Amino acid sequence: MQRIDELELPYLPMEEAAFASNPWPQLAAAREAHPWLAKAAFGFAVHQFGAMKDLLWRDEYLQTRIDNVLEVMDADGTEWGRFEKYSLLARQGAPHERIRSVLAPAFTPRQANRHRPLMQGVISELLDEWVPRREFDFEEFASNFPIGVMCSLIGAPRSAIPELRSSLEALGLSFSMDRNHLPALENAMNVMNGFVQRLVAERKAARLPQGEEDLLEILLDTVERGDLSERELFDLLIFLFVAGYDTSKNALTLLMSVLIDKPRIYERCAEDKAYCRRVVEENFRYLTTSTIPRTVVKAITYRDVLIPEGTELFFPVSIAGRDPTAYDDPDSFDPGRKEIKKHLTFGMGGHICLGQFIARAQIEEGLHLIARRMKNPRRTGPSSWRPFFGVWGLKGLPFAFDPADLKEDARLDA
Amino acid sequence: MAKITYLEANGREHVVDVCAGLTVMEGARNHGVPGILADCGGNCACGTCRVYIDEPWLAKAGEASEVEAATIEAQEDAGPGKRLSCQIKVADELDGLVVRMPETQC
Ligand code: HEM
Ligand code: FES
Repeated sequence: MQRIDELELPYLPMEEAAFASNPWPQLAAAREAHPWLAKAAFGFAVHQFGAMKDLLWRDEYLQTRIDNVLEVMDADGTEWGRFEKYSLLARQGAPHERIRSVLAPAFTPRQANRHRPLMQGVISELLDEWVPRREFDFEEFASNFPIGVMCSLIGAPRSAIPELRSSLEALGLSFSMDRNHLPALENAMNVMNGFVQRLVAERKAARLPQGEEDLLEILLDTVERGDLSERELFDLLIFLFVAGYDTSKNALTLLMSVLIDKPRIYERCAEDKAYCRRVVEENFRYLTTSTIPRTVVKAITYRDVLIPEGTELFFPVSIAGRDPTAYDDPDSFDPGRKEIKKHLTFGMGGHICLGQFIARAQIEEGLHLIARRMKNPRRTGPSSWRPFFGVWGLKGLPFAFDPADLKEDARLDA
Repeated sequence: MAKITYLEANGREHVVDVCAGLTVMEGARNHGVPGILADCGGNCACGTCRVYIDEPWLAKAGEASEVEAATIEAQEDAGPGKRLSCQIKVADELDGLVVRMPETQC
């Protein structure tokens, strides 16, 4: 058996902009050098699908230690630092379960399906507003969608979206491990704090009647029962906006960037919603967003490698779907794949994405209506890439399209 | 301790002794039984540990909670007796339980 730090490992430069814009050659080289492990900035990267699958759910051994992130970001004593330190992701065991169990009933697949009409309404309104422009940055357009859905779910006015967007944009870079972002993160926390505190005060002054409860009502009831403190309520509301924003927006933008080059698949999405589901899942495998950081809190021996307590591991689930040891022909985009949900986009274990069913439903509904209203999408300029650590994705997707013929739309409706 | 039979969709059978107190999902995972993914590690949050149980075992396995019943809809495979195996605690009276697994969890 060898200790992880004694192994000869390749280096995966995940912190470099060049890696973020094209990780595939370096990933292939890393796989050649070691089947599942690489060195990375701040620790080690587990890059093989099978190894992620074996390790990532082991919450007893692996936890998110925000302290390490705060140290890299030099953020001790900041409001953003406090927020992250007590966030759902940083909590373990009973304190995590207490909050997660309050939220869980509102985030099941059944609830997500119930919210589909709401999602259709949000995307349709956005399309009404944006389609006449014929040309814009798809990422900017897409950014309004998850915030709009989240406002509706929580029960916040959608007029708040412009105020929140730039703060959520900043907070989306929370785990980019780049301390230059810290001032923007602090600023964003101030805006978000002000927003949720006003929201709660207004709702307390005018509670919704029974039978019309939204998530905010459920959370306020929980505060009144003494199962959630007011500070926890504020943090949780902010966290829900943050967790659902960059992830969903980047996932939808990546999906569009892939489909621009696959016009037949895109066209079929306009006509066949069940097919959209397959296309969305396939992109959760093919080109997706997250790298999950974990600290080893109890030594693990895996495949004869000793990983001691205190080791920092990164799980780039964003690239796990291209692993040739896990998939046939991983680089081809095939919505007809048999096990279409075989991917790790939403993580594993007790912190598995709470919003995964909401995310799926909103991207499916979004894709279907986008494909119906924006025909022949084409790029009008280059995109750049966001930092690979944290929530990866495109920065900007300038594009143009032909607005759908409304008569054609009516035919599809019929 | 209870003897549990896990039946893969292709008919392959795995008979395993599972300690009381563990869940049916953990029994499969600890013995390397394929066919149950359990992505969320048993937190009733993913729906990738679905099994089918026939009467009379269904009644002995207990009621599904509201969250379980709503989470099981993650996948549309239909049929009676569908449960999330991470939500079934093994006890002596489940000795002899047979669970059938779907063709795929994903
Ligand atoms: C495509 C979109 C999304 C992706 C790729 C995604 C991805 C993830 C991942 C990988 C995690 C696990 C992080 C970890 O283990 O460290 C996570 C956690 C989480 N996500 Fe998502 N997410 C998405 C959308 C959403 C949405 C729409 C919401 C809210 C409605 C949401 C709420 C959450 C929450 C609350 C957690 C923390 C759960 C916990 O710590 O128990 N996510 N997400
Ligand atoms: S293991 Fe996730 S629901 Fe059972």
